[in-house]
Amino acid sequence: MKTAARATISGSLAILILSLLAGQAFAGPPEFEIEIRNHLFQPDTLTIPANTKVKLIIYNRDPTPEEFESYELNREKVILGGRKAIVFIGPLEPGEYPFFGEFNPQTALGSIVVVAKNDAAE
Amino acid sequence: MLLNSVIIVLREVLEAALLMSVFLASARFLQIRNRWVVAAIIAGLVGASVYGSALDPVSELFDGVGQEVVNAFLQFGAFALLVLIVFQIPRRVRNLHNSAAMIVSLMALTVAMAITREGAEILVYISGFWSMSDFFSAVAIGSVIGACIGFSVGVLIYYLLLAQPLKHALPTSVLLLHLIGAGMASQATRLLIQADWISTSGAVWDSSHILSEQSLAGQLLYALIGYEASPSLVEVIAYTGSLLLLAAAFVAGKLTSPTITEVSD
Repeated sequence: MKTAARATISGSLAILILSLLAGQAFAGPPEFEIEIRNHLFQPDTLTIPANTKVKLIIYNRDPTPEEFESYELNREKVILGGRKAIVFIGPLEPGEYPFFGEFNPQTALGSIVVVAKNDAAE
Repeated sequence: MLLNSVIIVLREVLEAALLMSVFLASARFLQIRNRWVVAAIIAGLVGASVYGSALDPVSELFDGVGQEVVNAFLQFGAFALLVLIVFQIPRRVRNLHNSAAMIVSLMALTVAMAITREGAEILVYISGFWSMSDFFSAVAIGSVIGACIGFSVGVLIYYLLLAQPLKHALPTSVLLLHLIGAGMASQATRLLIQADWISTSGAVWDSSHILSEQSLAGQLLYALIGYEASPSLVEVIAYTGSLLLLAAAFVAGKLTSPTITEVSD
């Protein structure tokens, strides 16, 4: 009885570790996309899950360069005209994290909304 | 548009200007001529135009995080040079025949690297308005104003340091070099986090309600001591570790100084 229980526990542990490793190796962080058009972010609000690292892909559809910048997210990156940029953010606590385009800060405004995973699923 | 250009250029110029002013003041205290700075600025401007025009292919490197990696490399490089400078300063103090040429080349290289990084971003920003004649004059005027304010702050810091009694002036400068260096190392770390080369958990603290990074004081402290309102644990470790490394370099420089030969000339 004891050995059986032990076997089950170690078996499920092994499966858990394996699945964790597999998740690490194959899934990669979830990806989200934003576009810049006419110095506006589209969408200007992006909802992402809490406590998760996320890969943000920002397409600059304008011919002019832009700098994606956020004090709250501690991120800044120049995106040349017609190019895309990859920025990793998180893991983050639930809340709202504003970002802006530093080269056009009057119009290029947006925010990342981080929600707890259960809320995000709804 | 004009005010926006002032702010963007000021933010970039401020970091290089502060570094330069502390170097120039330190060199004065170490009785080193400051002619090196012209060559350093020219080298930096050349570097900035090369980096700025190569930003497109650079961005594509390393699966799209080339910008972060190159900037982090420039920041870590400048930090390493600062470690060497901080090591050489006490040796120069002990013996004025020592290490002037070494200190000059290290300072020039550090300044050139800072201008390369900051200048490239300014060039990319301004070049975006090159073809738009309606905006271009506003952007150009704003940029010049921003650069002038940045340099004025640098000049102010320089004279504040020179106004100190000599006994305090060099230690203050060395302390500032420690803080600037630690700021560089933690900035470089943050770039590698952004590139996902380093993984991290959430912020250790959030002091943005006390001192926002967007405020003028926040910007100044960011340039001077690498102030960050919500740093991650890795950044805090990088900051503390690099402070300790700089302090160790300074002590090592002091201990390994050649035997004192007080030759006054």
